[in-house]
Amino acid sequence: MKRRDFIASAALLCLMPELAFAQAKSASDTISTFAQEGIVQILEAKISPAEKAERFRALFNRDFDIPAIARFVLGRAVRTATQPEQDQFLKVFEDVIVYTWTRRFSEYNGQSLKVADTAPDGPDGTVVNARIVGNSGDQSFGVAFRMRLRPEGWRIVDVIVDGVSMAITYRQEYASIIAQQGGMPGLISQLQTRAKELAKQQGVG
Amino acid sequence: MPSRASRALALIAALTLSACATRPTDPAALRAYEETNDKWEPLNRTMFDVDQALDAALIRPVAWTYRKVTPEPVRDGVSNALTNIRSPVVFLNDLLQGQGTRAAITIARFVVNSTLGIGGLFDVAKRMGTPGHGEDFGQTLAVWGVGDGTFLYLPLLGPTSVRDGFGLGVDAFAFDPFSWYSYNPHNNQSVQWYLLGAQLVDAKSSTMATTDELKKSSIDYYAALRSAYRQYRAREIRNGAPAPAGSMPAFDDEEGDPFAPEKPQAPK
Repeated sequence: MKRRDFIASAALLCLMPELAFAQAKSASDTISTFAQEGIVQILEAKISPAEKAERFRALFNRDFDIPAIARFVLGRAVRTATQPEQDQFLKVFEDVIVYTWTRRFSEYNGQSLKVADTAPDGPDGTVVNARIVGNSGDQSFGVAFRMRLRPEGWRIVDVIVDGVSMAITYRQEYASIIAQQGGMPGLISQLQTRAKELAKQQGVG
Repeated sequence: MPSRASRALALIAALTLSACATRPTDPAALRAYEETNDKWEPLNRTMFDVDQALDAALIRPVAWTYRKVTPEPVRDGVSNALTNIRSPVVFLNDLLQGQGTRAAITIARFVVNSTLGIGGLFDVAKRMGTPGHGEDFGQTLAVWGVGDGTFLYLPLLGPTSVRDGFGLGVDAFAFDPFSWYSYNPHNNQSVQWYLLGAQLVDAKSSTMATTDELKKSSIDYYAALRSAYRQYRAREIRNGAPAPAGSMPAFDDEEGDPFAPEKPQAPK
């Protein structure tokens, strides 16, 4: 083996763990990137509300495990729901979340997200604790992201503000609709109406 | 002939009984029913409607006008003063929960803010690095191991539970020095009610943005509020600590991570 080749392969070997590590971006880096891209490409970008909604939808699909969230939110109803019902729900649930979040984009006023720490969340998850910091610094509040490692990298499965989990709140609200207002078809049709209203209010969709 | 009061009581009892949700027999449905823990749901939903109507007609216009006519520093001042006035109640509950350090913080803040903070208008103690915290008798009961009991929705007061509603009464009529003041017939009886009214408007004005957000994103606002309130309350009882691992509701009889990635479905 030539000396040059040896140096090259030694360097490669040393780099390999680094490469493997870099491939799976850490949970907290995933959150920082999500926030940073959201601020630069959506919140501060001078584009139409419709375009903001589409960019957010792309980011949301990339960094959240929406199918896992949807199944959690449906709870035990997922067992009896037909495949078309599950597909319809997944689509309209995504719409409702996208339009719920985009409604607030116009209120953006220079806030930023700072990752504080991470903690284990069950045997195979991580929770990333962060703070949303305003300009005045006084009105900061805590937000926690529950994450799961998928083959493609870390994905967000829940957002918790002031101890209130988005996934649990949706789950308990939808359980009430399913039980009292026409099962899965009732839930889907009410969500479709709401998604349309939200989209219309913002002049998108 | 029964008195008017006893007839009224009988009417309330009849309404309450007929308003009970029926307990399901199917095990999975029963588990969901117990998780919701809302035995009086029909009655609660009626009270929720009354509350929403009162809110639209009275509380919201008052809170809205209040927000319009006062600059934020003034509202902060009023909010600070109302918080400061409540310090004795917080202090007593800190002690009952065996939280010596937190009790000392409450008393120290009360002294600093009442003097340097000009009657509590300015939260000087917070600027000095000692932020405050809330406590109430409902939380004390929770720390003592009392379960929250069934969900309760009260007009004007909003979502609560049997335990926390009872705690609210104890705080307002037994722990609050202003209630002692009004127990003396020679004193002005209205003071306590003015104070309660002010606390209500202050609370409304500060939570309006959050609840409006929930209302717009939900399709069953009552159910969403019930869930969010319970989670928020659980965190208050933990004094802000994160939820212990494994406290997330799992799929009813499945083991493992509720957010597990999709697996192939068994044929139905």
